[in-house]
Amino acid sequence: MALKQLSSNKCFGGLQKVFEHDSVELNCKMKFAIYLPPKAETGKCPTLYWLSGLTCTEQNFISKSGYHQAASEHGLVVVAPDTSPRGCNIKGEDESWDFGTGAGFYVDATEDPWKTNYRMYSYTTQKLPQLINANFPVDSQSMSIFGHSMGGHGALICALKNPGKYKSVSAFAPICNPVLCPWGKKAFSGYLGSDQSKWKAYDATHLVKSYPGSQLDILIDQGKDDQFLSDGQLLPDNLIAACTEKKIPVVFRLQEGYDHSYYFIATFIADHIRHHAKYLNV
Amino acid sequence: MENADREERGLGRATAPNDFHLYPMDLYDSEDRLQIFPEENARMRREVVPTEMTKEPRTAAKARTQRDLQEEVDEFAHLFGFEDDHELGDEFFGENPLRTEISEYPPYVMKRREPVREQKDWRFGEQANETEDLSFGGWGSADQCQDLREAYRYTRGRSSEEYECYVIPEEEDEEEAPSIFCVTCKTPVRACEALDEHKEHEVTPLDKALESAKDEIHKNMFKLEKQIIEMENFANHLEEVFITVEENFGRQEQNFESHYNEILETLAQKYEEKRHALGEKKKEKLEALYGQLVSCGENLETCKELMETIEEMCHEEKVDFMKDAVVMADRLGKFLKTKTDVELSAHPDFEDQNLDFSEVEQLMDSINTIPVPSAPVINPQAPNSATGSSVRVCWSLYSDDTVENYQLSYRPVQDGCPPEDQAEFTVTVKETYCSVTNLVPNTQYEFWVTAQNRAGTSPASECAVYMTAPSPPIIKVKEIRSCEEAALICWESGNLNPVDSYTVELTQAETPEASGVTESVVGIPTCESLVQLQPRQNYTIYVRALNMGGSSARSQPVTVRTTGCYFHLNKDTCHPWLTISEDGFTVVRSERKTPAREPLPSNTQFTRCVAVRGNLIPVRGRHYWEVDVDERLDYTVGVAFEDVPKQEDLGTNCHSWCMRHTFASSRHKYEFLHNKTTPDIRVTVSPRRIGVLLDYENSKLSFFNVHISQHLYTFSCQFHQFVHPCFALGNPGSLKIHNGISIPKHVAFY
Repeated sequence: MALKQLSSNKCFGGLQKVFEHDSVELNCKMKFAIYLPPKAETGKCPTLYWLSGLTCTEQNFISKSGYHQAASEHGLVVVAPDTSPRGCNIKGEDESWDFGTGAGFYVDATEDPWKTNYRMYSYTTQKLPQLINANFPVDSQSMSIFGHSMGGHGALICALKNPGKYKSVSAFAPICNPVLCPWGKKAFSGYLGSDQSKWKAYDATHLVKSYPGSQLDILIDQGKDDQFLSDGQLLPDNLIAACTEKKIPVVFRLQEGYDHSYYFIATFIADHIRHHAKYLNV
Repeated sequence: MENADREERGLGRATAPNDFHLYPMDLYDSEDRLQIFPEENARMRREVVPTEMTKEPRTAAKARTQRDLQEEVDEFAHLFGFEDDHELGDEFFGENPLRTEISEYPPYVMKRREPVREQKDWRFGEQANETEDLSFGGWGSADQCQDLREAYRYTRGRSSEEYECYVIPEEEDEEEAPSIFCVTCKTPVRACEALDEHKEHEVTPLDKALESAKDEIHKNMFKLEKQIIEMENFANHLEEVFITVEENFGRQEQNFESHYNEILETLAQKYEEKRHALGEKKKEKLEALYGQLVSCGENLETCKELMETIEEMCHEEKVDFMKDAVVMADRLGKFLKTKTDVELSAHPDFEDQNLDFSEVEQLMDSINTIPVPSAPVINPQAPNSATGSSVRVCWSLYSDDTVENYQLSYRPVQDGCPPEDQAEFTVTVKETYCSVTNLVPNTQYEFWVTAQNRAGTSPASECAVYMTAPSPPIIKVKEIRSCEEAALICWESGNLNPVDSYTVELTQAETPEASGVTESVVGIPTCESLVQLQPRQNYTIYVRALNMGGSSARSQPVTVRTTGCYFHLNKDTCHPWLTISEDGFTVVRSERKTPAREPLPSNTQFTRCVAVRGNLIPVRGRHYWEVDVDERLDYTVGVAFEDVPKQEDLGTNCHSWCMRHTFASSRHKYEFLHNKTTPDIRVTVSPRRIGVLLDYENSKLSFFNVHISQHLYTFSCQFHQFVHPCFALGNPGSLKIHNGISIPKHVAFY
C-alpha cells in the first residue's frame, strides 16, 4: 500500500497532489488525486470524493473543474480517483470509450474477464477511503461523495447503497437510471451479466425505492442543453419521480443552456462544494 | 452733606474699636479662651512660688537657680509679649497700637510678672542678709536695672526682659555651675551640694532636667501658637464684622438722609403751595372788596346828587317845582328801584383750610421702616428643571432689599389666545424659588414675581416664560421592528404641541435592574429611532420626550429581543381578500366567496396579487424568517421593494423576488421568480416550513426547506433599496409567519 507521490502543486494555499499506489482490490497500479486544503496542516478535515465520468482520469477534474478555491475555503480534502483499472491487459478493455478502461461504472464486476480487476465499487467505497484515512489528515467519520455523469451515477449508488456512510451526495448530469439507458445496459451486461435483477443493485433510481430513509440531501445539476440528456442516457426524471414518491430530498436544477462539459461543472462546482460543506462542517 | 457723611463715617470707625471688646466675647463665646491667659499666668505663678519657698533658707547659690528659672520665665513671658505686641495689636488696632498696648494689655503683663518681681525683691533682701561674703557686684546694677526695667515696662510693655538678659550673664561666670537638679526641691544644685543638703532627695543631671523643662516650655509654645492662630482668625472675623457694620450703617444713614430730604422737600413744597394759595385768596378778596367799595362810593355820589337836586327843587317856584318834581319823582323812583348791594362780597375771615400732612406723615412713618423692595429679577428657566406637571421658578432680589415674601403669579401661554384671557394664579412664598405644581405638560407658562414687606409691594418683575416637560411618549409596540443588530422603535409623541426631541434609553435585560440605563440615544427629532444593539440579547427600551423645560417621565417599557428578526405585516398593503390574525403573524385567505369586485388600483395596497407586505427593519444586515405553508396550497413568499407595482403578481417584475408554489394535478411546482423568469428546479420533498434568508451584505436571497435543512434556491440580486417580506395566497388557506428565529447554522453556508 505504499504511496508514490507523482506530483504536488500549491493551489489556493493548499496542495494538489497526485499519488500512485498498488491496489490489491484492482490488481493494478492506481492513481488518485488529492487536494489538501490549508486547514489540513493543522487539523483533520472532512473528505469529499469526486467520481469522474466516462473516459476521464484523475486529471480531468483537478485541472478543469476549478474546485480548489471552494474546497480551500471550506477546508475539505477532495479525493478524485481514476475511473477504472488501467493496464490490466484484459482483452477488449480499450475497444470502446464507454466500456472497459475509463468506464468502470463504479460496480464490482462479476463476469469474466472483468471480475478480477473491475471492482471499482469496492475500491471507491472501501479500499480508497481506508488508504486515505490511513495516510492523510482526514476525519474518517466525515465524508461525502459527488460526481459527474457516470461518476454522478457512482456517487448516487455509493450513497444510496450505504445509508449514513456519506453525509451528503450531489451530482452533475448523473446517469440516473442506467438499467434503462444504452450506456448502462452495455456496461452492466458486460460487468454484471445478463441478469437484469443484479443490475438494479447499481441503479440509483431502483436503489431509491428501497432506501431506508436516512437523511440524505441530494443536489443534482443538469445542463438543459446536454446532448446525453436528450439522448436518454441520463434519465433524471425517473430518479426525481422515485425520490418524490419516497420523499427523499432532492433539489434538481435544470440549468438553461448548459451542456455536459466541464464548463458546466465549473459553473456550479462551488454550489456543490458548499452543499457538501454544509453537511461535512456541522 | 457729603462732608458730614464722611465725618460721621470717620467717627464711626474711630469709635468702633471700643465696641469690639464687647462684641467678640459675645459672638464667639470666647471668654473662656481668653481666660487661658490668666490661667497660664496662674500656673506659672505656681511654678515659681514653690521654688521661692523652698529657697528661703538657702544660700545665694539659689539665686542662680532663680535666675535660670527666671530666664526661662522671661522667655516665656517674652513669647506672650511678642504675641500681644505685634500680632494682636497690629491686627486689632493698627490705627493706634500704642493706645491699646498701654491701656489694654499691660495689666496682663504686670500681673503675670508680679511674682517674679516679688521673688527678685525678696532675693535681693536675702542676699544682703545671708551672703554678704559673696560679692555680687553685678547685683547693684541689677537693682538699678530692676527699677529701670519697671519704668521701661510701663512704657514699652514686657520688652524689658531683653534688658534683663544682658544683666544676668555677668554673674554666671562667678560661680561653679550646678550640674545636678534636685527633683524634690525643684532646684539645680552643684555636685557638692547634692551630697549634703540634697542627700536624701531625688536628683537628676541638670541637662536632663533642662531638657524636660524645655519640653514643657515647647508644649506651652505650641499651645500658644494655636492660640495665636485662633486669635488671628477671630480678628479677621472681627474685621469682617467691622466692615459689615460700617456698610450697613452707612446704607441706613443714606437711607435716612434721603428720607429726610424727601420729607423736607415735600414740606417745603407744601409750604409754597399753601402760601401761594393764601396770597391768591387774599388778592381775590381784596379785589372784590375794593370793587364793592368803588361801587358803593358811586352810589353814594348819586344819592348825594339827588339830594342836592331835590333840595334845589324845593327852593323853586311852585309851577317849576311841580314840573321838576314829576321828573324828579320818576328819577328818584328809578334810582330807588335799583338795589343797593350792601352785602359783603368777601368775608374777612378764612374759610376753613385743612392742612394735609398725611403725605408727610406717611413719609415720616416710612423713615423708621424699611423701604419697599425693588422689583425682583426673575431667572430664565434652567434646563432640565421641569417635570410634566411642575416647573421650578427662581428669581433674585437686590441685596439690600428686605423682603417678607414673594408673590409668584403665572398663567398659561397659548398661541392665538391673548394671555389676558387666561386664568391667573398666584402663590406666596418666602424663598426665592418655587416649585409650581399641577401644571399641564408641555405647556408654556408666563411667570412674574413681586416682593413684599411691611412697607409695601414691589413692582412686578419681567415676565419669564417657563415650560413644563412633555408627557411621556407612547411606544407603538406593534410597530417595533428588530433584527440581530438593531431595532426600529416608533412612538407617538403623547403631546399635542411639538416637543424638542426624544431620548431612547436601553437597558440590557440580562443585567440586574439596579445597573440601570446602559445606553441612551439622545436628540432624536422624529418619532422613531433605529438603535444599534448586540445580537441575541433582551433589551428593555424606554422613550422620553424633551423640551426646553426638561424631559418627560419614561414611557411604558417595551422589550426587544435581538434574536432573529421581527417585523410586522403592513395592513395598508393587505389585499382585501386577506385577513391578518390577531397576533399579526397569520395571513388567511378565507374559503367563502369574496366579493367579485376587484379593488381599485393603489400604490400601497396589493390589488391583483392576493398579498400582504411586511415592514422589515431597514438595516443592511442578514435577516431570516420562516413561514409555515400547506403542501397543497398555492403560495408565494419572497421580498419586494416598497414601491413594487401592486397590480402585478409578485415575481413578475424586477421589484420582487419570490418562491412560488403551485399545486396542480397532484404535482408540485416550485418557481423562483424574478422579473417573470425562474430557474427550472425540481424539489422532491415539499417543504412545510420555508426559511427565507435575506442577506444584504452578500446580495443574496435564499430559500430553505426548514425541516430537512435543505437549500432550495438562492437569488443573487443587488438590492439598491430596502426590501420587505411579501406573502401571497393563490387559493384559500393560510400562511403562518415565524419571527425571532436565529439564523440556523446550515443557512450560514448560503
